[in-house]
Amino acid sequence: MDALGWPALGNSERKTDRSAIGRGVAPGRPDGRLVLHALGLRKHFGGVQAVSGVDLAVAPGDLRAIIGPNGAGKTTLFNLLSGDLAHDSGRIYFAGEEVSGLRPHELCRRGMGRTFQITSIFRRLTALDNVRTALLSHHRRHYNVLIPARRFYRDEAFGLLERVGLREQADKPSGILAHGDQRRLEMAIALASAPRLLLLDEPTAGMAPRERHEIVALVAAIARDTGLAVVFTEHDMDVVFAVAARITVLHQGAVIAEGPPAEVRADPEVQRVYLGQPATRPR
Amino acid sequence: MLSARWLGLLAAGLGLAPLVLPPFFLQLLTEIAIVGLFATAFNLLMGFGGMVSFGHAAYFALGAYAAALLVRRAGVPMLLALPVAPLAAAAGALLFGFFIVRLTHTYFAMLSLAFAQIVFTVIFKWKSLTGGDDGLLDVWPPAFLKSPVAYYYFALAVVALCLLALRAIVESPFGYALTAVRENPRRARFIGINVRRHQLLAFVVSGAFSGMAGGLFAFYNGSVFPDFAYFTKSFEPLVVALLGGAQSFLGPLAGAFGFKILEWLISRQWPVYWPLFLGAIVIAVVVALPQGFVGLVGARAWTRSAGRR
Amino acid sequence: MDFITSLFPWITNGPLVTVQVMSGLSVGMFLFLVSVGMSLIFGVTRIVNLAHGSFYMVGAYLMVTMVEILPDRSWAFWIALLVAPLGVAALGGVIEVGLLRLIYRRDPLMQLILTFGLILVISTLVLLAWGPDNKSVARPEALAGSVRILGQPFPSYYLLVLGLSPLVAVGLWLIFYRTRWGMLIRAATVDREMLGALGVDVAALYTQVFVFGSWLAGFGGALAAPTVAVALGMDADVLTTAFVVVVIGGLGSFAGSFISALLVGELQSFGILIFPAVSIVLLFALMAVVLIVRPWGLLGRPEE
Repeated sequence: MDALGWPALGNSERKTDRSAIGRGVAPGRPDGRLVLHALGLRKHFGGVQAVSGVDLAVAPGDLRAIIGPNGAGKTTLFNLLSGDLAHDSGRIYFAGEEVSGLRPHELCRRGMGRTFQITSIFRRLTALDNVRTALLSHHRRHYNVLIPARRFYRDEAFGLLERVGLREQADKPSGILAHGDQRRLEMAIALASAPRLLLLDEPTAGMAPRERHEIVALVAAIARDTGLAVVFTEHDMDVVFAVAARITVLHQGAVIAEGPPAEVRADPEVQRVYLGQPATRPR
Repeated sequence: MLSARWLGLLAAGLGLAPLVLPPFFLQLLTEIAIVGLFATAFNLLMGFGGMVSFGHAAYFALGAYAAALLVRRAGVPMLLALPVAPLAAAAGALLFGFFIVRLTHTYFAMLSLAFAQIVFTVIFKWKSLTGGDDGLLDVWPPAFLKSPVAYYYFALAVVALCLLALRAIVESPFGYALTAVRENPRRARFIGINVRRHQLLAFVVSGAFSGMAGGLFAFYNGSVFPDFAYFTKSFEPLVVALLGGAQSFLGPLAGAFGFKILEWLISRQWPVYWPLFLGAIVIAVVVALPQGFVGLVGARAWTRSAGRR
Repeated sequence: MDFITSLFPWITNGPLVTVQVMSGLSVGMFLFLVSVGMSLIFGVTRIVNLAHGSFYMVGAYLMVTMVEILPDRSWAFWIALLVAPLGVAALGGVIEVGLLRLIYRRDPLMQLILTFGLILVISTLVLLAWGPDNKSVARPEALAGSVRILGQPFPSYYLLVLGLSPLVAVGLWLIFYRTRWGMLIRAATVDREMLGALGVDVAALYTQVFVFGSWLAGFGGALAAPTVAVALGMDADVLTTAFVVVVIGGLGSFAGSFISALLVGELQSFGILIFPAVSIVLLFALMAVVLIVRPWGLLGRPEE
């Protein structure tokens, strides 16, 4: 346990357990209090080890940033967590239950939501219908063939759009919305599934600085109001240090540091590998 | 989408047609209705679902043969045999579709074609059951539906009901989810939709209504033949849907009308030239549609237009 | 073992089995000629040419005409065999330049539909040019009869096929693997854009490939003309079988087409003995299985 009472993880610890993981044996029981508990995740592509033995523990309400230089394995890790990619070894537990190998739609049902680096919405549908479709699926009505869909969830959908600040845009085809608004819409879609954990892959990519802070403030507010845990990757350090409760630093597929922002910032290894480098403009 | 007034006029016109049109044209309209149903069912999969099948004749034929076999071999009356047509076709669509939806695009099309050829060959070879090349004859509706006028009204009623059902499906939450799957399968997954299962269900629905069209055609035609399942028949709903516009619900119906009228006009003058003409139309349609399927699939008319709550 | 011999009494009949194998090989070679052209065209241009069966048919009909107009001499057959496929190649060239060039950037399914339209157009033109009656081509005198192989009768003409086919296959192999043009084709099968970026005239290559593929189909048709009824409908028959061969072997794979054609030829040959009614269904079932388990065929390349 570290000073804040968090289980101390990261592959700089748990060396003995790692060999057990390699043999497919979980080191002890997963912590059921955690929303997400990943142990010993590994993934290689051809000869490259993209993720090598990553542990991740996320508690309810946590606002976790995952940072690291390009190629550190952040997106691969996300894809492993959200079921988009199969891990070579390791286990993933969601709210105490093992979910290794579950497919994305099953993970969504259990409460995992996700946004993507390149905004993934239904461009030819209106903003309202984007959210409505997500709600229909969430409430398991998507096999109903008897009643017109437009009679359902109008108010709920408006509520979600309102929460992300898109009420005015409800009737616009989402493809014509500004980039930042599309990102907000994607957030609303993810929220429609009432997730317990939100994985946000570069939520501020492609946004101007002011927009960036707005959207991150939105994320923080939502997390605070609903108690949902948020894990996000980011390049913009201002954003990260402003909002994250804990930071996990990846480098070459492994966790090199984890902890509250101040601690991570002061970590010499992190400084050497990442923060010490000349500031690069995030793409 | 046609407004209620136009639909009303259309319904009235169709209803009164037997008073003005000779039986031949009533039969033509009957065929148009049946082909229109087939093409609309097909387009549920292509235009709305974004999946192009080259083997839909299989389900048309399964429906036709199921109904015909019940009438000819089991003595079942037509009104009981006809509802079996969509069920038989749905069963086939479920079995084949299970494998077909695992593939995409060109391979999806090719596998659907392969299964259709299997259906054709089985029908062709299993002479003892299906009559093989000779087909099954004397597949007639009961006496009170036998006249062109009577069958015309009957077919029109059944087709109208089926179209209403298809329309309801398109507007339903199931339809919304299918749109989502078509537009962005990854995002659909991440809102909890089992994409493959949804596509399979759409495939089965499409197959079922194609089978209903087949059943209606069997009794209209009075006989069924193996070439109901031949791959050339599979291209008919495709061409009809493209012609009429795959982006809208009623497009295939309009295409069926245009297609059949053209076929009638050209076949009576120069019967030999009809395939040539059809081929030329197909080529022209493809050349004239620069965006191909991407452009047609799910364009504005299918999607929830702005302002509709 | 007794169980097998009671089911298939002919299986211990060595000579019969040998002859069946040989005839299966002959059938396979016809299929190979047609299929390799289709596979080749797909490999380079990514178009599945459904009209390929139509080219085969035109080759057979041209053979009929050539044999008719040439004087009745022993060399007439061979001249016809040489000239007929050229006619088909020319047709292919016209179609490629006039039509296919317009749609190369389109959705592959749209291209497929266009080639389906071509089937309709070509078959009607054939009907108009040659009439609805079945035609036939007489086998050349030297190959008209049959020979005895291990005591079993075997049509002499098939010996020609068996003799020519390895030559054709070797010839194709030499072209693909020993000439510069063949190397360009193989490169185009792997990465067209890169080839274009390297300054190769890809459009011209497409035309050449299409013409060559059409020639192969036409040659297959001309060669087959003396063995089948030359009739309308032969385009669809050969198309479906060629399609099966190409899918199983792998679209775009030369070796795949070869192996697959032989396999299908043998299946057809023995299938008639084992399951006369079901042999064709087996073929399509095999194709379905391949598409399910390994969509890019035995030796094909997975699509991006």
